[in-house]
Amino acid sequence: MIRYTFITILLLLAAFVAQQFMPSFAELYQSRILLVQLVFLCTAVTLEQPAMLILAFIGGLFWDAHCALGPHGGSPEVYTQQVESLHFGYSILLFGAMGLLMQGIQPLFRQGKWQISALLSGVVIFLYLTVEYLIITFVRGDFTLTKATLLQMGFTSILTLLFSPLVFGLLFWIAKACGHPIYPQAGRNRRRIH
Amino acid sequence: MKPLNLIALLFFLGGSVWAFTRSDRAVCEVQDVYFSAMSPFLKSGSKLEAKAHAFRQETRRSKELEVELQTVRSNMDRLAIIESRYRELENENEQLRHALNYKKANHFDLVATQVIRRQPTTWWQTVDIDAGEESGIGTQLAVLSSEGLVGKVDRIYKDQNRSSVLLLTDEKCQVSARVEGSPEVGILSGQRGRFDGNPLLRLRFLSTDAALHAGQKVFTTGRGGIFQPNILLGTIDSVEKGALDSEALVRPSVNFADLGTVFVVLTADP
Repeated sequence: MIRYTFITILLLLAAFVAQQFMPSFAELYQSRILLVQLVFLCTAVTLEQPAMLILAFIGGLFWDAHCALGPHGGSPEVYTQQVESLHFGYSILLFGAMGLLMQGIQPLFRQGKWQISALLSGVVIFLYLTVEYLIITFVRGDFTLTKATLLQMGFTSILTLLFSPLVFGLLFWIAKACGHPIYPQAGRNRRRIH
Repeated sequence: MKPLNLIALLFFLGGSVWAFTRSDRAVCEVQDVYFSAMSPFLKSGSKLEAKAHAFRQETRRSKELEVELQTVRSNMDRLAIIESRYRELENENEQLRHALNYKKANHFDLVATQVIRRQPTTWWQTVDIDAGEESGIGTQLAVLSSEGLVGKVDRIYKDQNRSSVLLLTDEKCQVSARVEGSPEVGILSGQRGRFDGNPLLRLRFLSTDAALHAGQKVFTTGRGGIFQPNILLGTIDSVEKGALDSEALVRPSVNFADLGTVFVVLTADP
């Protein structure tokens, strides 16, 4: 269990590295594959809650370090209405919330139905982007939701979802190598049938 | 809830509060650590993206390029004529300055850089350039292209000689702007949720009776302490009159979809 958790943390860090090579697709409204979020979501469903929360903290903290913009510059007398960006640390809570959502279907995953978790990861990515956009709107005011924004969120979710079987495959391989059963219920059911 | 889960949740919330209460300086330190660790991968990622961009450029249809070449040629001829006229005016201006004992004309001290990475985050309009601290670049410096203002330096990657530029098309990049041929002054910034190559910018806080028309040029005022005056920002596309103030949509002068070489303004003569 500890070995598996430790390797998933390394896997998440590797996802941060791989994310550097993921360009945005200008033709698809600057959508991209959110590999960090995907690895976290797929891993979250395989872990116990405390380990998931550790992963959420690491993921959220580094994601904010990756994305946070610098402070405002210029004279406040001229730029009286400065535009705020997302506060450092918000991603930790978002990652935590996403992880809890994924753990909500852990009983199904433990029955061996990983496909449902894979589908849910796409839905959760869409929710994650929606919440991020709503926070930006809340902080900056003036609600505007363009078709381009919706399409960007949609394409990002779909592109990311397409990679989830690969990530689950990798997790199954790691779990097998570590001797850690990530869906023991399925194993029990199989034994009962035999 | 199991006691272990509860303890983990409390630690998690405590960690979140810790992160939330970090000052800007502490956040920069966390980012420095993160980007230092990512440094070798960032360089490879940038190279890969630059290659992919070059490949996409090469595969553009030849017909399109032919048309572009034709346009460039005609523009070059036109510019040659303008340049000769400009030289005449410059000489005349120099003579007049001497005569009036004026100061030497303002000039910028520029660093030429290449865009090596586009839009590395989901929501912010930023690009990375291949120059940083080693080239004397700091944050909040204006970035130009031959077409006009591109944005400002938002972040320096420590010990990596690269920086992140917040583009003019981002909502957070605000520029004090004036409209040519009118007394109108406002704040220009990008618009949220615009992901096409060249989105329109929004010029806010204009007077209610702003007499503006499409095609008027918009320049920086030089107020606010970041951008030097008289840098071209774009041209007025349309004007929306409001009850308290007016707003104008501005077409940027820079082609943000095809940024290559950009210049960071290190200093400008007063």
